[in-house]
Amino acid sequence: MELGEEENKAAWLLGVKTLKIQPYHLPPLGAHDVKVRMKAVGICGSDVHHFKHMRCGNFIVKKPMVIGHECAGTVEEVGSEVKSLQVGNRVALEPGISCSQCHLCKDGRYNLCREMKFFGSPPTNGALANLVVHPANLCFKLPDNVSLEEGAMCEPLSVGIHACRRAKISPQTKVLIMGAGPIGLVTMLAARVFGAPKIIIADIDDSRLSFAKDLGADEIIQVSTNIQDVGEEVVKIQNAMGANVDVSFDCVGFDKTMSTALNATGAGGKVCLVGMGRSEMTIPLTPAAAREVDVIGIFRYRNTWPLCIEFLKSRKIDVKPLITHRFKFTEEQVEEAFETSAQGGNAIKVMFSL
Amino acid sequence: MGKGGQSQGNVAQCEENMAAWLLGVNNLKIQPFKLPSLGPNDVRVAIKAVGICGSDVHYLKSMSCGDYYVKEPMVIGHECAGIVEEVGSEVKSLAPGSRVALEPGIACWRCKPCKGGRYNLCDEMKFFATPPIHGSLANQIVHPADLCFKLPEGMSLEEGAMCEPLSVGVYACQRANASPKTSVLIMGAGPIGLVTMLAARAFGVSKIVVADVDEVRLKIAKDLGATAVIKSSQKIEDVGKELELIKEALGGAEADVTFDCVGFGKTMTTALKATSRGGKVCLVGMGHSDMTVPLTPAAGREVDIVGIFRYKNTWPLCIDFITSGKIDVKPLITHRFGFSQKEIEEAFATSARGGSAIKVMFNL
Repeated sequence: MELGEEENKAAWLLGVKTLKIQPYHLPPLGAHDVKVRMKAVGICGSDVHHFKHMRCGNFIVKKPMVIGHECAGTVEEVGSEVKSLQVGNRVALEPGISCSQCHLCKDGRYNLCREMKFFGSPPTNGALANLVVHPANLCFKLPDNVSLEEGAMCEPLSVGIHACRRAKISPQTKVLIMGAGPIGLVTMLAARVFGAPKIIIADIDDSRLSFAKDLGADEIIQVSTNIQDVGEEVVKIQNAMGANVDVSFDCVGFDKTMSTALNATGAGGKVCLVGMGRSEMTIPLTPAAAREVDVIGIFRYRNTWPLCIEFLKSRKIDVKPLITHRFKFTEEQVEEAFETSAQGGNAIKVMFSL
Repeated sequence: MGKGGQSQGNVAQCEENMAAWLLGVNNLKIQPFKLPSLGPNDVRVAIKAVGICGSDVHYLKSMSCGDYYVKEPMVIGHECAGIVEEVGSEVKSLAPGSRVALEPGIACWRCKPCKGGRYNLCDEMKFFATPPIHGSLANQIVHPADLCFKLPEGMSLEEGAMCEPLSVGVYACQRANASPKTSVLIMGAGPIGLVTMLAARAFGVSKIVVADVDEVRLKIAKDLGATAVIKSSQKIEDVGKELELIKEALGGAEADVTFDCVGFGKTMTTALKATSRGGKVCLVGMGHSDMTVPLTPAAGREVDIVGIFRYKNTWPLCIDFITSGKIDVKPLITHRFGFSQKEIEEAFATSARGGSAIKVMFNL
C-alpha cells in the first residue's frame, strides 16, 4: 500500500458467522472498468446464508471472501476506454461479470454463464467495501430523483422483474405469490407494474402479510407449514381470486408452497419457482403437467437494470418502504446488521450506508 | 346403414352396429352400439383401424385413469381411422368413401381455453373413451367432420390410426421447442417414447438418446434411429451412473430438451439433472402423481418443466410427416387382431404385457 493512499476496507467473511472489516486490495483498473465508491449496500438472504453456513447451494466459501452484492455508489475513476461514465456519476451496479464468449452469453442468456463472476458468490469478492472495481457496462447511471439506496434495491428488484418476464406477466395474468418476504414483495411490485390485474399473496407470518397489503396486495392469505392444509388453502386461494390463477410465484421454495402453487394454478398457467428453500421436493408434478401448468425456473436476472431504473424514476415502483433497517459500515454494526436480516419477521431489507 | 364388421363372432349377419364395451374390471364385451343421429356437421364413419393405448388398458384394468372414473358401460378405444359412409347436410369437406383419420376430442369452442387456441384444455372436452364419452372401437361411429382428416392415397388406414399416438409426440416436440439446435434425451422407449423420438427426428433433431429399463425396447429404439440407447434401472442410486452414460452418449454435453415419457420420480430426477441450463424437460408420461424430484437446482439453472395434455392441431402435420416419409410409423405396429370377442381380449392382454408389444392394432 502506497503511503498516503486511503486504505480500502471491506467486510470479509472469514468463517461461520465471522465477519471482519479488513483491508481490501483492489485489482488494477482495466480500460473498460470504473472504480466506484460504495454508498449503499443491501443484505440478501444468500449473503446471510453464506454468513451462517459458509456456503449457499453449490457455492462453498473456501477462503476469506468479501460479502455483499446489492449495491450502488459514485464513480471515482474511469478506465481509458470508458465513455459512458464520468467521475462523480451516481451508479447502481449489476453484480455479475459474464464471459461473453460462451453460447449462453451469445444467446442473450448471460445469467446462466458457467464462468460467471458474481459479487459475493465464492470465490468472487463482493461489494460491501469502501471501493470496488467493476466493468463500466455493468454500472448504470441513476437519475437525479433516484437515491443510492434505491439504486442498491435494483438488485433484489431485478429478481422480481426477471421472474415476471419469464412468467410473461401482463394485464391478462392473475397472480398468486407464495411468500411475503423481500423476494415475494419485489415480485409483487414487479407484477403490478407489468399490469397484473389481481395479486394475492400468501405467507405464514401475519405481520409480513399486512405489510404486503400496505404495499398493494389485493388479497392476503395466511397459510400454515402443515402439508395437510394444502387442499383447504388451494380452495381459499381460488375463492379469493374469483377466477383462475394464471401465474403463481413460489418465492419460498418448499414442498408445501410448490404443491399449493401447482394445485392452485389454472390449466395452461405457469408456476415460477423463485425461492430456493429445499433442493429436493415431493410435489404433485404429474397432475399439474397434465393440465399444462408449466414450471419456470429463474436464476438471478438479465438485462433488468435499465428497466428497474425507469420504474424507479417514473415512480411506478416505490422500493423505499422495503428498506426497514439501516446500519453503518463499522465492525460493531456489520454483524448486528446480518443478525437483524437473519431474524426475518419485520426486517425486510437491511441496508448499509457507507 | 353400412356394413357390419369383418369378424362377426356369433352375431347374425345383420346391420346392427357393434362395439367393444367396457363393462367392468377386465370385462370387455362386443355388444350393440346405437349411434346418435347424424348432425348437419357430422359424418358417419365405418371404423377400419383402431390402436390400443396405455390409457385404454388402464381403464380395462381399473375402470379409472387419473381423475376419470368409468361409472357406466362405455365403448373403449380412441386411436382410429376409417371410411366415411354418410355425411351431414352441411358437410362439404368430405364425401362417402373418403378415407379419414379421426381426432378423438370434441371441444366446446365456448370456454376460455378453446377461444384462446388451447382447445386440448377445454373445460367440456368430449373425448373418445374418456368417461362418460363412448370410444371408437366399433363398426361405426358418428363424429364431427372437422375432426376427420382425409388420408392421401398411399397412406394406409393403420397409419391413419397411428396419427393419434404420433400426435402426442409431435405436440410434445412443439411445446418443448425441439429443433435442429436441440439435442434430445428421451426417458422411456415405449410407444410414447418412440413416437416422440420419431417426431423429434422429423423436427430436425440430430442427436437423440433414449433410455429404458428394457433391452428389447431399446433395440427397437436403436433400429428406429436413436443415436444411442442407454439401459437404465429402477434404482434411484443409479441416477449418477446413468447421467454419466447419457453425457457420454451426447458427446460430453447435456441434453437441451428431455422428454420424460415414463413419469416417475427417478426418470424425472434423471431428466432434470441431465438437461442443460436454459433447457426444457417435457413431462409426457403419467406414471406417478406425486414425485420427489430435485426441482430447485433445476429451476436454478432455468431448466423449465413443460407439461402436455394430449395435443392440438396436430393431424395435418402428422399426415404430412407420414406422407413425405419423414416419419414411418409402420414399424411401431407390432401386433394385429380382428374384431371378435376372443380377439379383443387377447389384444388387450398383449398390449398390457408391454415388452415387445408396442402398438396393438385392430383391423375391422
